[in-house]
Amino acid sequence: MSRTIPKTLVQQGLSAHAAIGLLASALLYIVCLTGMVTVLYEEWQRWEQPDAPEMSAVSPDAVQRGITAVLASEKGRKSTEHLYVHLPTSALPRTTITTDHQAVHVDATGAIAAKELNGWSEFLLNLHYTLNIPGMIGGIVVGALGAMMVALTLTGVIAHPRIFRDAFRLRARDKGGIGLADWHNRLGVWSLPFALALALTGAMIGLASVNGYGLAQSFYKGDVEAAYAPIFGAEGKPDAKSAPLPNVAAALKVMTVRFPELRPTYVILHEPGTAGQMVQVLATHPHRLIYGENYNFDATGHLLNHVGLSDGAIGQQAAASTYNLHFGNYGGLPVKIAYVLFGLALCVVIATGVSIWLGKRERRGFAQPRLRNGWNALVWGTGLALITTWLARWQIGNDAPFMAIFWVSLALMVAAGFALPGHVRVRQPLQTMLAGGLALTLGSLLT
Amino acid sequence: MIDVPLCNGLIGIGALCGGGAVLSLRLAWGLPMRSARRNGMGWGLLLAGLGLGATGAGAWGVAAVTITATATAFLCLAYAGLRARPGKAVASNRRAHMLPEQREPLRIGGRLLSFVLIVPLAMLVALLAGLALRAGAVRLGAGEADGNILSLFGMPLIWALLVGALLLWPRRRRQWAVLGVPALLSALMLFLDRAVA
Repeated sequence: MSRTIPKTLVQQGLSAHAAIGLLASALLYIVCLTGMVTVLYEEWQRWEQPDAPEMSAVSPDAVQRGITAVLASEKGRKSTEHLYVHLPTSALPRTTITTDHQAVHVDATGAIAAKELNGWSEFLLNLHYTLNIPGMIGGIVVGALGAMMVALTLTGVIAHPRIFRDAFRLRARDKGGIGLADWHNRLGVWSLPFALALALTGAMIGLASVNGYGLAQSFYKGDVEAAYAPIFGAEGKPDAKSAPLPNVAAALKVMTVRFPELRPTYVILHEPGTAGQMVQVLATHPHRLIYGENYNFDATGHLLNHVGLSDGAIGQQAAASTYNLHFGNYGGLPVKIAYVLFGLALCVVIATGVSIWLGKRERRGFAQPRLRNGWNALVWGTGLALITTWLARWQIGNDAPFMAIFWVSLALMVAAGFALPGHVRVRQPLQTMLAGGLALTLGSLLT
Repeated sequence: MIDVPLCNGLIGIGALCGGGAVLSLRLAWGLPMRSARRNGMGWGLLLAGLGLGATGAGAWGVAAVTITATATAFLCLAYAGLRARPGKAVASNRRAHMLPEQREPLRIGGRLLSFVLIVPLAMLVALLAGLALRAGAVRLGAGEADGNILSLFGMPLIWALLVGALLLWPRRRRQWAVLGVPALLSALMLFLDRAVA
């Protein structure tokens, strides 16, 4: 039996790979680059607001005082439906309370210390999650890009019959397209497990709204929450009658006594101050991919049950593992650094993919300098536009219009790339500006 | 669950095996002749590493070993890149047939139809297939959580497979079959599921 892949299949694989690449590359590149930067989401928040109070742990009583103070500050406003307390973690050693109306840091005693100022980090996360497209559409587009990335990896493998024999062959300094192709193929091959894991988890997260709707319509009489309840648990029945605030301190003390090996990371209050209120404590489990387990308490701080993300159905554990696997926050800074480097490799794979296609056309006599300029403007301009938003955060502050700065500057660079005469090359000026921007960013982080 | 020192030990050895596997494969694939023994050693080490990672800490351990192996491969590539000398090999100029060349027709209608098949239609078929998977799995005894997550993970994977298949078989009749057959089977499965319920 022949062990070689038929030549026609390889050729069709290459064509399929090129077609998907050309369809999705521009947006996929933006999503990958922003994803690479988003890996350091917690670190960016600390850099954005370096004077926020930090602590390695916070006492249960301080958390209770913080919740009471925050809700007291909202008297006269519509009652918040949910309240989240971010508890100090090694990546983000801060206690932050978020309601429907505000987000504030509290100090180690539970007193309100400052408003949370993480506008840039939130913009970055939103850019990666939805490309800043409002509503469900953004998530669906990004999810679709994830599915396209899975298709790209599959067709890439089909198109590459010497995948193992050439796995370590990198003719990095060859001209005329060989070097570029080797960078694309080698980085693509070795980042394949990472790319597949990221693409599939990203597609699952992004397309969850479509799938959730489909599940709800097909099996749950249109109730989307009911479709997710078997996986992530259901919320309690609302009862709007007024009630004293729940005893969160008692719940946290129970966690310490019953589960000393776990680290609570969030307290979530559903409908606080009502008879239907419920307390959830999210706690991380050591050496697990799951983002945590939800422990449910009643208003007196009595442990009711846990959802089963840590020990329930395989589907629950798989769903809860999706987020950490995607964002690389399951092994501290070393894993984050690995994710940044692998993410950079993915960006190189995407950027070189289109350049290889353009190079082949040029060698066949169909030079398209404006198209090449436009692509180079996107590749180098995306990073530059992102840096511009960071510099705006540094110089203008938390309320700078990050979205407008990013998209307008990127659009201008790409438009200039397409509009300039063919003999004017944009790559080198953009690379120089990017290097300058990176130096300024580094300077802003060190000051 | 096993205790933490043993878990760390297993993952540590697993990570070493993962890194060693890549180095071993680097040596094996650099030989002038294929060596089944060397290849086997590389793949065996990788399997052993993943097994140790899984034993130590399940999916977390597998992820840790995979990261180590991938990082080792990137180090090998960096070394290859640093040692590379300029060559004179000629790159491929093969056409991907994405844009017209010379005076070829633009085929805008055909391209638009391809887009419609690959993006919205394939997505809908994948959604239908994901729901059918869920219905089938639950009928066969899977829990609701497992069934629902099968649909959530299955849909994008099926979409990617459909996209690959549609582009690997560019003839329209076959493309309609690639979409139509799974769509019909999925619809039938969902219909039967409702009829039985």
